[in-house]
Amino acid sequence: MTPVSAHAGETDRAGEAGIVVPDRLERWIEAYGPELCRHLTRMLPSEADADDLLQEVWVRAMRKPPESGRGSNVRAWLYRVATNVALDRLATEGRRCCALVGRRLALAPEPASAPDEVLGSLSPAARFRVREKVAALPPKQREAVWLRWVEGRDYEAIAARLECSQASARANVYNGMKRLRVELLDVWNEENGR
Amino acid sequence: MTGDGCTYCEDDVLAYVAGELAAEADLEMSVHLGDCVECRESAADFKVLEPIISECCRDEAIRWHTFASPFGRMFVAATSQGVARLTWRALDEEEFLEWVGEQHPGRPLIRDPEALAEVEREVAEYFRGERTEFDMDVDLGVLGEFERGVLEELTEAIRFGQVIPYSELAKRIGKPKAARAVGNAVGANPVPIVVPCHRVVRLDGSLGGYGGGIEYKERLLEIEGREDLLKVG
Repeated sequence: MTPVSAHAGETDRAGEAGIVVPDRLERWIEAYGPELCRHLTRMLPSEADADDLLQEVWVRAMRKPPESGRGSNVRAWLYRVATNVALDRLATEGRRCCALVGRRLALAPEPASAPDEVLGSLSPAARFRVREKVAALPPKQREAVWLRWVEGRDYEAIAARLECSQASARANVYNGMKRLRVELLDVWNEENGR
Repeated sequence: MTGDGCTYCEDDVLAYVAGELAAEADLEMSVHLGDCVECRESAADFKVLEPIISECCRDEAIRWHTFASPFGRMFVAATSQGVARLTWRALDEEEFLEWVGEQHPGRPLIRDPEALAEVEREVAEYFRGERTEFDMDVDLGVLGEFERGVLEELTEAIRFGQVIPYSELAKRIGKPKAARAVGNAVGANPVPIVVPCHRVVRLDGSLGGYGGGIEYKERLLEIEGREDLLKVG
């Protein structure tokens, strides 16, 4: 497993095969378009979004094509691209992302369309709170989450730093993430009297 | 277990979001996220949580490193701004990290020999007499404005081999009556050697105190060719 960037996603699977030739894309659209559209429909609350998002899938697919031409891999990869597109939409359009960073929806009537925009608009208070929550993790989880997502290290490096096995390094990252998710959502819910 | 009849746990979702699954398992999870609301919600949260953490925490870490020196085991800690602590007085790692933690509460401490290799190199060169000034940045942010002003002036104005009396340094910062406060500021120096508090002496030419131990002040002045001062002290 190669280390992945902090912005894990379809790019991890894609190589540097160059630009997708239009007829290759056309074949994909023909072969996988209908099932991807159904997949997006299942992922999202509103069906109307699926068509829109499918276009976004093809755009991302062209920008970073997969490295191998094997049919099953292309299908898995296109599903991954589509799922990422849908998750980005869910995270930024719903109240979930706003909840995580403590941003009140009322203050942001225009939802951001990409996680990058959310990150750019993080208030100093929200940044502080995220840091505070990370700092409050148990020491091993804190260091593991830190090394993984701030420093972008792989599990081998994290295991070496924490003097533990790679499985334990991964468990510390995962447990830290689960805890952060719950706590950040809790804080927001409390503030909003839920 | 997340939803009704869902056989996946949050760890599976995390592995998926992080791109750690093989192609087949990845496809299975993609499809599953279309079916399972709970897994979908956690995936959406985790996917955005990763960049949020990285964005919010990037500049927060304190990096530290330890290496051998002629003074014994040297410990160094740095923020993204520069070296915030250098000491050979800590008994062990634990004590050092406790000090650093007190100075910078709540900030993650990361052992990072690579990031601090340059500091180690500069310090080693200084001890070998191959370096007369340091290129590394220092971060005196834990100090008050007055103390910082004193130490900045000291670093700027008093070069390798030079010394200055406390009272003179007080004059230089425009507070001629504050010699005692200047002494305290010099004593609070968190980055000795690099911020050259060993170059501050008494007006009568005796050495005065040194937080790191007076014998070390003597040795530093020796490195800088000021054996003449040691006879008086």
